[in-house]
Amino acid sequence: MLDAFSRAVVSADASTSVVGDINALKAFVASGNRRLDAVNAIASNASCMVSDAVAGMICENQGLIQAGGNCYPNRRMAACLRDAEIILRYVTYALLAGDASVLDDRCLNGLKETYAALGVPTTSTVRAVQIMKAQAAAHIKDTPSEARAGAKLRKMGSPVVEDRCASLVAEASSYFDRVIAALS
Amino acid sequence: MKSVVTTVIASADAAGRFPSTSDLEAVQGSIQRAAARLEAAEKLAGNLDNVAREAYDACIKKYPYLNNAGEANSTDTFKAKCMRDIKHYMRLVQYCLVVGGTGPLDEWGIAGQREVYRALGLPTAPYVEALSFARNRGCAPRDMSAQALTEYNALLDYAINSLS
Repeated sequence: MLDAFSRAVVSADASTSVVGDINALKAFVASGNRRLDAVNAIASNASCMVSDAVAGMICENQGLIQAGGNCYPNRRMAACLRDAEIILRYVTYALLAGDASVLDDRCLNGLKETYAALGVPTTSTVRAVQIMKAQAAAHIKDTPSEARAGAKLRKMGSPVVEDRCASLVAEASSYFDRVIAALS
Repeated sequence: MKSVVTTVIASADAAGRFPSTSDLEAVQGSIQRAAARLEAAEKLAGNLDNVAREAYDACIKKYPYLNNAGEANSTDTFKAKCMRDIKHYMRLVQYCLVVGGTGPLDEWGIAGQREVYRALGLPTAPYVEALSFARNRGCAPRDMSAQALTEYNALLDYAINSLS
């Protein structure tokens, strides 16, 4: 497992040179608190994000919870919720580390083959991941949808900077895209 | 590669939980110390060749017998290899400054070090002398800030201890 710093070291070591691009790491350090806020925003809303993503996936494809569907009976629905939480957790780790290696090594490696063997439909899984991607962006920007959340609207209220952490939103989105790419 | 962040993630993963507040506090602590480390890494990277050269010269000066025929610093090839070894240690120290832990020195420098030097019949005392020279050569604020120098010296001490 690597983080942004050890990634720089490993790639410098490949050419037996010193780490030259210190400025990129200084930028990582300078925006460190924003990154921690972003991780906190996802971690604090994780269970809500997971259940909403799975519920959204099922709303769009009711067949999943009818007899013979992949979220029927409760035992398989529970497995689905658990998997969504695991994927979100590894994305959160990757965001904290600033590097995708933990996500690749510990979550995505062999996931597609496992799902194929278990008969889990890829398109539905991808849809749930897409919903979590949108939710994560909204939570990092601290702009959850008032129209959709209704009475359950919950804001982190952390002081939001001018660009609403655009680079972190892009980074988190790239990790979700990585999950989608690994599954399809 | 072990660092504060990867250690935090590994333990959170072992427990199957999201990063907790105390996990984030640990990472924040590491980030707050990072400025000094990165300053030292930047200064060392900019002057690595000279630092290594001075350290090498100092150890040959203390142990001139190494230049005798058959000794470790006798031929041009051997001299180049000695110089390269010192540079490797300084480079690993720079990596440790970047990572914020002793992972690179542990994994790429210290693991197997004793066995290699024994197999090649190399004395470790000259390495200790070279690294000790570098350890005592740095000066704040001439070379870097005091905090950066502390981080740098601590890693050199770590490397010296591994050799003695």
